[in-house]
Amino acid sequence: MGFLDLFRRDTTERATRRERVLFDDEFQRKLEMLALVSRRVFAGRIRAERRSKKKGSGLEFADHRDYVAGDDFRSVDWNVYQRFGKLLVRLYEEEEDLSIYLIVDCSSSMAFGNQKKFDQARRLCAALAYVGLANLDRVTIVAVNDGLISRMPTTRGKARIFRVFEFLSKLEPGGVTDLGAALKTFALQHKRRGLAVLFSDLYDPAGFEAGINVLRFNKFEPYVVDLVDRSEARPALKGDVRIYDCETGEERELTVTDSMLDKMQRAVSEYRANVERFCAEKQVPYFAADVDTPFDELVLRVFRRGGFLR
Amino acid sequence: MTLTGLSLSELLMIAGGTASVTVLLYVLKLRRRAVPVPYARIWDAIFRDRQATELFSKLRRLLSLLFQLALLALMILALGDPKPKTAVLDGRHLVVLVDGSASMKATDVKPSRIEAAKVAVRKLVRSLGSADRALIVGMGSLPSPLSTMSSDVTELEPAIDLLSAADTRADLERGLSFARDSLRGLPKAEIVLVSDGALGDVSAESQRVDLSGIALSYLPIGQSGMNVAISEFSVRRYPLDKARSEVMLEVANTSDQPVQVELTLLGDGAIIDVSRFALGPNERLPRYYQDLAGASHTLEAKLRLADGRADDLPADDHAYALMPERHRARVLVVSKGNTYLEAALLLDEYLDVTSVAPGGAMPSERFDVAILDGVADALPDTVRARLFLNPPDGGVPLKWGATLSDFGFDTWDKKSPILRLLALGDVQVASGHALVPSASDRILGASEQGPFLVSGSHSGHPFVALGFDPRNSDLVLRVAWPLFVLNAINAFVEEDTGYVSSFRTGEVWRVPVPSSVDSATLIDPHGAHHTVPVKEGRAVYLGEEAGFYKLSAGSGSAAVTSEFAANLSDLSESHITPVRELSLGRRKASAVQVAAPSSKRELWVYLLGAVVLLSLVEWVTYHRRVTV
Repeated sequence: MGFLDLFRRDTTERATRRERVLFDDEFQRKLEMLALVSRRVFAGRIRAERRSKKKGSGLEFADHRDYVAGDDFRSVDWNVYQRFGKLLVRLYEEEEDLSIYLIVDCSSSMAFGNQKKFDQARRLCAALAYVGLANLDRVTIVAVNDGLISRMPTTRGKARIFRVFEFLSKLEPGGVTDLGAALKTFALQHKRRGLAVLFSDLYDPAGFEAGINVLRFNKFEPYVVDLVDRSEARPALKGDVRIYDCETGEERELTVTDSMLDKMQRAVSEYRANVERFCAEKQVPYFAADVDTPFDELVLRVFRRGGFLR
Repeated sequence: MTLTGLSLSELLMIAGGTASVTVLLYVLKLRRRAVPVPYARIWDAIFRDRQATELFSKLRRLLSLLFQLALLALMILALGDPKPKTAVLDGRHLVVLVDGSASMKATDVKPSRIEAAKVAVRKLVRSLGSADRALIVGMGSLPSPLSTMSSDVTELEPAIDLLSAADTRADLERGLSFARDSLRGLPKAEIVLVSDGALGDVSAESQRVDLSGIALSYLPIGQSGMNVAISEFSVRRYPLDKARSEVMLEVANTSDQPVQVELTLLGDGAIIDVSRFALGPNERLPRYYQDLAGASHTLEAKLRLADGRADDLPADDHAYALMPERHRARVLVVSKGNTYLEAALLLDEYLDVTSVAPGGAMPSERFDVAILDGVADALPDTVRARLFLNPPDGGVPLKWGATLSDFGFDTWDKKSPILRLLALGDVQVASGHALVPSASDRILGASEQGPFLVSGSHSGHPFVALGFDPRNSDLVLRVAWPLFVLNAINAFVEEDTGYVSSFRTGEVWRVPVPSSVDSATLIDPHGAHHTVPVKEGRAVYLGEEAGFYKLSAGSGSAAVTSEFAANLSDLSESHITPVRELSLGRRKASAVQVAAPSSKRELWVYLLGAVVLLSLVEWVTYHRRVTV
């Protein structure tokens, strides 16, 4: 056994250790709790499926939500307005078999800052996959950077969750982000439309809009989970430095001062605001997932925002 | 402005080199730290603003360079030690004579006058101008230069720390002479005398030392002068009873107030006498202690105020004396038998008498005196002196003269120690012989018929010859007989001759060393060992401390140790009332002007201060991220 073998074994062991840390027993217990908490409604062609947000025949009232500009006036619940003075829109659910695509951004920027964003993305992805599998939805996981890196074939049933864990554990971040190109390939390969949840920091040199628009234009129901690491907004930098992009290698020379860091913080906030504004405009659910928030709390928020839970 | 350090050309060379290196370092491209970021394009928004601040950044970098060059310029200028031209030309030359006499040990200013003098001199030195130079001299019994003529405070201050006071008087004449010689040929010469003014009669010194062309200023030290002193102290043993001694001392009150004092005498460390008495203002009181017993080796006198207060000068309150050493005189008697002689010799217990019959074998030991009674046997050289009683003709270094009968002491040498205290006027002698003295001999007693008592020296052996048999006179029936015999023996032994019960501090001591050595070891009252030279059988040492001393000479079995005492014994040093204004003859010393210390500072100090200040500003702005 040579030195390289030792290194290889060590790498494998490290990966296994990371998998154990990412998806340990505690994690799995929390997933079970999330599945129980969710009120599952089964409908569809096979056995018991959950409700989708798709509108169509056999619609059943599902929920209210706040009225936003552009909503159809016919869906406004006037009775509620009469009683409470609030404009709420009635939501209906179409009972059908649902396809859930979980798209994980595996670019280098996701590994920046001790890989916290990437780990959080994988935990959230596993949680949503578990709930989907438990609801007998068709769950597919796709890893992307500037193309399609790997894909976990469509599966269903709670028992397949370990396959999900194995797939996610084997993912390694790297490469440049190009969500537009990567999701075009994804859309071409997946004809069955459904819910497409994108886990990404949206640091796309081609612009964050491209990837989301590809999903929209191809009739997927996009859902954006934006992985946010607040330490990136105010890095611990001072003095004369040469910064370079961890994906593209683009360089800038500058002298970092406190005022510059303030500007940087404002620029990052502005960038997030642009993303959120874009999603709101395009009626794409957007959720900012802080890497420092416990994942189970985030999952509950995601479910509520996305309609996974009521 | 004149450069007194490096020359202008040297400074320019250094400045050129260092400035070039500094500029070169600034021209080199700054190596920046590479830092990864997750998304560089977000920083572009910031870079849009950067265009506006780029000019300021460049200016800041230029300012930094100028700042470094300014620091360099200040440091290089400091190397040049710039001084105003007038300061270089007009510097004073001072010799600071600091009184190191016993009176400077007075404690009327705390902790002592000498310490107060140090403080005053330190102030004076710090107030000197940048071109002024000073020489610190301790003025004791001899002037001691403690520094070189320097303007460097860091050299002068350690010299000031070395100043001290000793149990001596200050020799003003020597001090002034030394100062005059040190200032010879120097411009703006000045002597600064730092003293309490207890310098004795200073008018004589001013006449002997020519101080023309030299400014003289005086810095008085001291506040009051409450002092009592032991000004004299001496002891001797009684010749005929060496177990007892006689002490003479003198106490003085140098203040203007009457005082009650207590005087304590200690013999071998134990108190043997305590007496209290009054002293009027400026009174000197001699006191004698007769028949004082109880001391065999050392004697000390301590004086203090009866009310328990301490006077201002403790140094003169303690005096020391060493008793003359007693040893047995070895006497060889060559006689057929002489009861009167034997009886006389029995009176002194410190005589070691050996009797030999005429013609018998002579002992080979050393003898101090041989008494030849009616005989003139040959004596070995180990016998130092001879006393001839009625010697036969030709048996002495003298010849017989005429035969004498019925005669007496018509004349005798009353000043001779041999005939001291003797009443010889009515002594009757039946018969005898006149003696014929040589030119070097001395006639001690004679009748009208001729001399019959002669002393002298023959072949290095002193002798006394009596020209009649004492038993043929009534001398043996008189008290004068044993006194004559014992006086003669004492005169030969010379026990008291040249004995000094104590030396005086501040003088060169010449202590007899009974050994043929080149050097001896002296142990002072503090236990410190000094190697002192021996010249002509005497150890030579300039003593400056009162107390008991031990002197060792030789080594092994030939080692000899002797002891002696030293005292201040200088009434002028005990007059410690400070003198506010000093006049040397007709010349009055001016007061010393001590300027504020700040005026002394050199320009280079300010330059380096500016460097430090600028560095501090740079450090603060850098660490507070003002310039980064």
